[in-house]
Amino acid sequence: MQLFEFQAKQILKENGIPIPKGRLALTAEKAIQISRDIHPPLVVKAQVLTGGRGLAGGVKFCANPNELTNVASQVLGMNVKGEKTRALLIEEKLDVAREIYAAITWDYPNNCPTLIGSSRGGVDIETVANEHPRDVARKRIDPCDGFSAYQARELATDIGLKGPEVVQYSTIVSGLWSIFEKHDAELVEINPLAVLRDGSFVALDAKLSLDDKSASRQSNLLNRIEQLPSCPREGLEFRRSDAKTLGIPTYIEMEGDIGVIADGAGSGMLTLDLVTDLGGKIRVYCEMGGEITPELMENTMLAALRVDNVRVLLINLIGGLNRMDEMAQGITNYLAKRPTKTPIVVRMSGTKQNEGRAILSAKGIGFFDNLYEAVKRSASLSRDD
Amino acid sequence: MAILVDKGTRVLVQGITGKIGSFQTRIMIDYGTNVVAGVTPGKGAQTYNGVPVFDSVRQAADATKPEVSICFVPGPFASDAAMEAIDAGLRLVVVLAEAVPISDTAKMLAHASEHNTAVIGPDTSGVISPGRSKLGVQPHQLFTEGRVGIISRSGALSYETAKTLTENGIGQSTVVGLGGGPMWGFTHRKALQMFREDRDTDAVVLLGEIGGHIEEEAAVYIKSGYAKPVVALVVGRSAPPGQKMGHAGAIIQQGRGSAQGKITALRDAGALIAKSPEEIPALIRKELK
Repeated sequence: MQLFEFQAKQILKENGIPIPKGRLALTAEKAIQISRDIHPPLVVKAQVLTGGRGLAGGVKFCANPNELTNVASQVLGMNVKGEKTRALLIEEKLDVAREIYAAITWDYPNNCPTLIGSSRGGVDIETVANEHPRDVARKRIDPCDGFSAYQARELATDIGLKGPEVVQYSTIVSGLWSIFEKHDAELVEINPLAVLRDGSFVALDAKLSLDDKSASRQSNLLNRIEQLPSCPREGLEFRRSDAKTLGIPTYIEMEGDIGVIADGAGSGMLTLDLVTDLGGKIRVYCEMGGEITPELMENTMLAALRVDNVRVLLINLIGGLNRMDEMAQGITNYLAKRPTKTPIVVRMSGTKQNEGRAILSAKGIGFFDNLYEAVKRSASLSRDD
Repeated sequence: MAILVDKGTRVLVQGITGKIGSFQTRIMIDYGTNVVAGVTPGKGAQTYNGVPVFDSVRQAADATKPEVSICFVPGPFASDAAMEAIDAGLRLVVVLAEAVPISDTAKMLAHASEHNTAVIGPDTSGVISPGRSKLGVQPHQLFTEGRVGIISRSGALSYETAKTLTENGIGQSTVVGLGGGPMWGFTHRKALQMFREDRDTDAVVLLGEIGGHIEEEAAVYIKSGYAKPVVALVVGRSAPPGQKMGHAGAIIQQGRGSAQGKITALRDAGALIAKSPEEIPALIRKELK
């Protein structure tokens, strides 16, 4: 789960990492109000989760208060790669001498956390690593022994910092480690980390992604930090966030006309590949994860069928942990409550398949045993006029 | 012989009294798995499905000498339970829980490698040697005993493939589910090594998906010379980049981890490539002629 920049910065600040003075504005009026406390020049930053915000025009500078109304209303509502801007972070513009980089993330091949530093900030670290590999330094952290502050100091000297800068940089990296460990982060990144003309260090931008699998022990944090008001009850963003509320682990919309529901990640991806190979196009894809209840099956059908332009819904079930009698119950419950004209193609195999198929048959719902047959049927239904 | 688990392998079930643990233990016992003990802290001295239950793995190990453990303990507590089994000296722990925090997984895997214990998972369907024993939640009626090994990140994709092989008269020696990632205790490479030595396995089906690095690692291993035919299928060819496709590890990021890259690496290494499970039986028949 990725946090917004303003949320990430709040957590940085709590952990002793300097950030620019700034506040959140949901309207242009509020932005003007903020400019009475934080004096121009200002930076106006769209609060979106999509990457490439700067290139899309989501970050603007504002030299005097007269421009602010215009700039703020321009950025508010701006569409950044499909994500609508609902809030702005208004910050003081600082006098930056140079930009560097600091982050902690997981090194997956080695199954351990890794500190990453660079003397080049403000650009994507992958790009720096490709173009200037010698300007990127890494330190692996043993998952059992944990972090020791000297590793942050070594990282600082490895990227060419000297004297007091080593202390400032390594203190910030130690702060990042506290965040990484305490909040089960997948990534915590300061890019750029500004070195100001007066020599002090400030986090100009911040990225924080939490491990979804730790949500249960991070509920305190998520309840405590400032949130954006919930989005309107329509449109893609609503459908996405509501799918999460309904308990559907994977919900993806695309631009076709076939809905796909699967009860396994691998079998779900296989279904997408087979549909695509036959020339079918996916409109919405839902994967339900493990331990699926009849209610989740029912809710997932609701989520898939409310999307516009779904001409056929293909449900591919091949359960191990997941029981077909319970899935059949979910499907028949949904159809009893919300009869639909959209054709529904069910493929059902696995644990308790005979019981599940009997429940479907009793309600006059057909099913396939073979996935390829079900995929072919769905693709041809999507083409029927 | 099969790999990892065979008829008679002495099995401990951690979390034996929970809803899923008890339901699945019944199924495993009916299938023929030799379950010798269960552990649920606080429920020691009871019996469950005819199996003695202990408060700790140490007690269960002393009394019943299990070799391997299957762990039904839920996500936030799973790595603690697995560490307990590792420290009690079991040779293999299968961790089913889906939501194990990444930092817990990292500690668990580091600890396991220090103690030379194999960990399968987390977020796995387990391992089954059809007709002999199963340590997992597979719908075993889709599997049949035979001489082809299957290694899969996804549980459901391994069921789909085993079903297709079974329908085409090709049985399986052992089917291993590696789990959803992004960290794996057991990888394609480790399973390939074991299948190579296994006299009951003639060919291997390698099932991969987008994201991560373990298919590429397997390709390097196969390229160094692998005596048995390998048929590979990588799913997620049509997955949009930047999206987690149901498994935490199934994501294409910064152009890395695409299905095409993995398919190319495996093909270059000498594996035969299938586009769907349907194509696998013919490829295996051709190789084993």
